[in-house]
Amino acid sequence: MILSKISHFGFVLIFGLVLLVLAVLPFFVDLYYQTFLIELFVWVLFAISFDLIFGYTGLLSFGQALFFGLGSYTVTIFVRKFGFNTELSLFLSIVIPILFAWFVGYFSVKLTGIHFAIITIIFAMIGNIIGETWTSFTGGSDGLTFSPPPFRLGLLSVDMMDIKSNYYFVLAIVAISYLFLRRIVQSPLGKVFISIRENEERVQLIGYNVQRYKLVAFIIAGGLSGLAGGLYSLTLKYAGASYLHWSVSGHAVVYTVVGGMGTLIGPALGAGIIMSLEHYLIDILQTTDLVAGIVLVFMILVAPKGLVGYIQSMLKKGETSA
Amino acid sequence: MISNLAVAILNGIVWGLMMALIALGLNMICGLLYIINMAHGALYMLGAVVAWYLIELTGNFWIALIIAPLCVGVIGILMEKGLLRTIEDKPIMTIICTFGVMLAVQELVLIVFGGSPRRIDAPITYCFPLFQLQYPLMRVVIAAISGLVMAGLWFFLRKAKYGLWMRAVVQDREMAVAIGIPVTKVYMWTFALGSALAAFSGVLAATIVSVEFMMGREVLIMAFIIVIVGGMGNLEGSVLAAIMISLIQGVGSLFVPPSIAMVFALAFMILVLLIRPQGLFGE
Amino acid sequence: MPETNEIILELKEVNKSFGGLLAVNKVNLSLNKGELRALIGPNGAGKTTLLNLINGIFPVSGGQIFFKGKEITNLSPHRISHIGIARTLQITSLFSGSTVYENIWIAVQSRKRIYNPLVHASKRKDVKDKTEYMLELIGLKEKAQTVSSELSYGDQRILEIGVALSTEPELLLLDEPTAGLSTEESVILVKKVQGMIAGKTIILVEHDMGVVMGLAERITVLNYGEIIAEGTPQEIKDNEEVRKIYLGT
Repeated sequence: MILSKISHFGFVLIFGLVLLVLAVLPFFVDLYYQTFLIELFVWVLFAISFDLIFGYTGLLSFGQALFFGLGSYTVTIFVRKFGFNTELSLFLSIVIPILFAWFVGYFSVKLTGIHFAIITIIFAMIGNIIGETWTSFTGGSDGLTFSPPPFRLGLLSVDMMDIKSNYYFVLAIVAISYLFLRRIVQSPLGKVFISIRENEERVQLIGYNVQRYKLVAFIIAGGLSGLAGGLYSLTLKYAGASYLHWSVSGHAVVYTVVGGMGTLIGPALGAGIIMSLEHYLIDILQTTDLVAGIVLVFMILVAPKGLVGYIQSMLKKGETSA
Repeated sequence: MISNLAVAILNGIVWGLMMALIALGLNMICGLLYIINMAHGALYMLGAVVAWYLIELTGNFWIALIIAPLCVGVIGILMEKGLLRTIEDKPIMTIICTFGVMLAVQELVLIVFGGSPRRIDAPITYCFPLFQLQYPLMRVVIAAISGLVMAGLWFFLRKAKYGLWMRAVVQDREMAVAIGIPVTKVYMWTFALGSALAAFSGVLAATIVSVEFMMGREVLIMAFIIVIVGGMGNLEGSVLAAIMISLIQGVGSLFVPPSIAMVFALAFMILVLLIRPQGLFGE
Repeated sequence: MPETNEIILELKEVNKSFGGLLAVNKVNLSLNKGELRALIGPNGAGKTTLLNLINGIFPVSGGQIFFKGKEITNLSPHRISHIGIARTLQITSLFSGSTVYENIWIAVQSRKRIYNPLVHASKRKDVKDKTEYMLELIGLKEKAQTVSSELSYGDQRILEIGVALSTEPELLLLDEPTAGLSTEESVILVKKVQGMIAGKTIILVEHDMGVVMGLAERITVLNYGEIIAEGTPQEIKDNEEVRKIYLGT
């Protein structure tokens, strides 16, 4: 009881500290670095949404790129082609992927394991092909650029063209999303997700409609992936068909596994580490996937619970031996 | 019109047989080792790339056709022995691990080989008349070679010592261990064989499509689709599914834009997965 | 609990085949409320399959199953759980990464309907109280924070029964609860469990004849998917055919 109060307090403390550091950072680093950080925040969001379905619920989906791409295109197309304002477009970048996730998920959760993974890839492939060929609408592989007007909510107005404002905007949304997800995984609903991952048969036997819960997880993850895509496009002022390719989902897999699946903080950490590594190495090696691939293989073999899991087990060992 | 149809059908069969080789390799690895090999497309690509280098070196396609798969087979052995052995019983881990290998290998090839697609010249350039068009003999040769390899594989699995061992391990692993079959060696050679098959197909494919570091990505997914539609563990099913899917795609492309044909093919896959996840020909 | 005359479970001409194999053959069974019925038979007789059919894990190939007068044939397992039937499995099936507390919690939670996803799970006092009650009942309160995979095998079997009980069933299907336990451990388990299952209707699949004879009010004997005998423990003991099958057990 006391332990959980301490860990809760500990979380608040650490989260607050991290937020503080990130909030202050723009005064000390240049715009290029700020843009990098914004991208990092977006991928953190994508990674933690993946963690919900994979780390917590045990669903390995390589198709999350579909929702990321959808969110990204929603914002871009609604602003550029339909003249919607940024607020509504960003909101839709959550809603439309949710609708698609409902559809895709409804069918996909009837399957498990590799079949589930494959069907999610197939849906993503369909999205990718449509994105690449419906060039009049999506701009194909060249994609679409656009200039989003300021985001307005009540008295708040965020100029999306100003990198610093953009930075705080994305940071705030991602932070709120993180807290939202954290609350979900700690709620009774989250407990069901975790149980599904641990023993799907037993969960069903004690009365839970497993498919329905998987679908809920899938929809939440889809919505948040869409939000990530929307934020990504708002930042880069661009959406492209490549965002819909299933290999984009691979990034989420790498960050989550490396950081530690089923922890939320793990994928965030994983995204941070891998992206920073790639950022610094790209000048030397001109490569990103090589690092990601090697680290992934290494982690799976040596520390399958990821960095966070490794640290947790070290702490446990310290506890028992003390 | 008839010429186009004939070409499409022939292409469908040729490509189907090549995809069958890849799918067979994947199926063996999946069916025997329960490893979901996400790197399989990369192995196919490596076959083409290694062949390209060998041809630069020796100028001879046929040497490359033999040696490149052997090289990739060795890589397969290294993968199985070095990386996968400890996690072989955990499918989710193997998916992720082989996915990492795929990323790393693709990028490595990008660095060494470069990003620009290159071509291998087919050793046979003769074209024979097919109705109103000319059809490259090389493709027929490819189909024949693929067919021969598949026949060879069939015999291997039914007559050769290792082949029989492989089938025994698939049927009943514990019994196989009990009667003294060196199961770990069988795993190793199966992975090697599966990798070599993918690479072999890659070399053949290099005469038709361009060689580049990304060429394995779509092939990987098609291979998985074929294995699942045909039924995991069902080798004959993979061959049938490969030819069927390629034909549908090829002939379909005559009537609708290829991307739409692909979308329909994918939608069809989804239906198969939902209605008969054990595959059209699986039990 | 004294057996009543109210029929709670009824199986009518239930069949199950897997491909060519007939696993359950024209089984007719009537279970009274409060009864503890043992289901015995040699390996492969179809006992677990029969439970799977009642439970909804397998669809029947023929016949009907009624629970409290309503047909439940082929309903999905989670619906059957809510109708009031719980199940333990022959091979322990728990949430291996979770603690004992969490295992019971999730089972207790299954009976509550509203999940506000923004409420911390620990704030559900109703679930918490019932969980602690169940832990007390099954005698695992001191081990509540132990990860279930680290429990002794016997404790795991008890936890599994506890998890099933936490879903407030009226009918409990126990599939070889003493499987894998030594005779002493079986005795201990039975002692612990007897208090827990009081008042429930039970179908007990068991191989351990000592346990069966000690607990059962009525016994149904299955062989090759068919019921070959049914009666009180004494009647079954005296039954020639049963003796033949068990070769003097």
